[in-house]
Amino acid sequence: MATLRDIKRRIVSVQKTQQITRAMRMVAAAKLRRAQERIIALRPYADRMHGTIAEISLRQKGAEHALLIPREKVQKLEVVVVTSDRGLAGAFNSNILKAAELSILQREPKLDAISLSLYGRRGRDFYKSRRAAQMRTATVGIREVEYGHASGLAKELAERYVSGEIDEAVIVFSEFVSAMTQIPSIRQLLPLEQAAVSEDADESPYSVEPDETKLLELLVPKALEIEIYRALLETQAGEHAARMAAMESATRNTEELIESLTLQYNRARQAAITKELVEIVTGAEAL
Amino acid sequence: MAIELTIVTPEGQAFSGTVDSVVLPGSEGNFGVLEAHERFLSPLQIGEVEIQTAAGTQWAAISEGFADVNPQRAVVLVETCELASDIDKARAESAKNRAEASLQSKADSEDSHRLQQAALKRAAVRIQVAARL
Repeated sequence: MATLRDIKRRIVSVQKTQQITRAMRMVAAAKLRRAQERIIALRPYADRMHGTIAEISLRQKGAEHALLIPREKVQKLEVVVVTSDRGLAGAFNSNILKAAELSILQREPKLDAISLSLYGRRGRDFYKSRRAAQMRTATVGIREVEYGHASGLAKELAERYVSGEIDEAVIVFSEFVSAMTQIPSIRQLLPLEQAAVSEDADESPYSVEPDETKLLELLVPKALEIEIYRALLETQAGEHAARMAAMESATRNTEELIESLTLQYNRARQAAITKELVEIVTGAEAL
Repeated sequence: MAIELTIVTPEGQAFSGTVDSVVLPGSEGNFGVLEAHERFLSPLQIGEVEIQTAAGTQWAAISEGFADVNPQRAVVLVETCELASDIDKARAESAKNRAEASLQSKADSEDSHRLQQAALKRAAVRIQVAARL
């Protein structure tokens, strides 16, 4: 049976753990708020951008862009996997990686080559041991998602798509539905998918300066950047939300543990007192 | 006599409101937008935006993007947009000096040379806009 002192020591140690999980929960909550605000701020920009591209490429005939044209036969696939840098966020990263791995395994037999671009330390560590030969780039040590991360990645992908090094690119990330739900999802990056245009919109064509092709040249790479940026932000928000939930349940667990340990402690204390009393009484009787 | 002007950046909405007119730095030269402008799309370059409202004139510095105009509204999508009152003059000055110094060193590749030139232009525009106040 554990001595009083042992139990006391365990209680103190669990209390310290609880302090940490509680602090992490609060930090995650604050970061989540910021991350959420950034997504909300980006949405109007992304939506307008998509709408405009769709409109130009549908309405103005003959306006095409290399990044919008699908390949007849897809043989080389690039998979961008977005994870977080840090763990302690429940099943958040393993869910993303599971989804990524599943889709890679599904598509692999029909393809010549798959290359991986990894964003976040968790993803890199996962693939370092599994698919080291297919890993191409990895971005780690991210304190906060920056626009530069997305634009760098977008530029690289666009160049490789145009040169024929890859035939398709997809991104695996975590979609931020709410603070309680994050769904790992896969979206096609290249060729860039076009949003549907509502037919009732103003029918008069745009006058465009200098011309449609030049404008698409400017818009399409930017839309790719935005698409990636959005995925990075969603994943970041999801990470904080997942960590918040994980730390909340961890805090609850420590509470339960402390409760049961305190009960044990009190019982042990009571037992010790009873034992002492019995000893005194028997001692007195013996006299 | 008014149009709805919205300036959006990836960081959020920088400006939104009813204005009398707006002058934008198009890639082919500055252009003004009044009410009942034809449907029009144009890339924008780094430059200053002049916003005329009933309350007076406002200035803003923008970087590359594009403008989508129709008779009732103008939407400006740019990477960054700072209103004259929000510009940090000291930061703009130091960015300008930095860009100038690295342009002078000439050791850079062509790519980074272009980047530095863009940085210089952005800083110069910010300083110019801040001086309008």
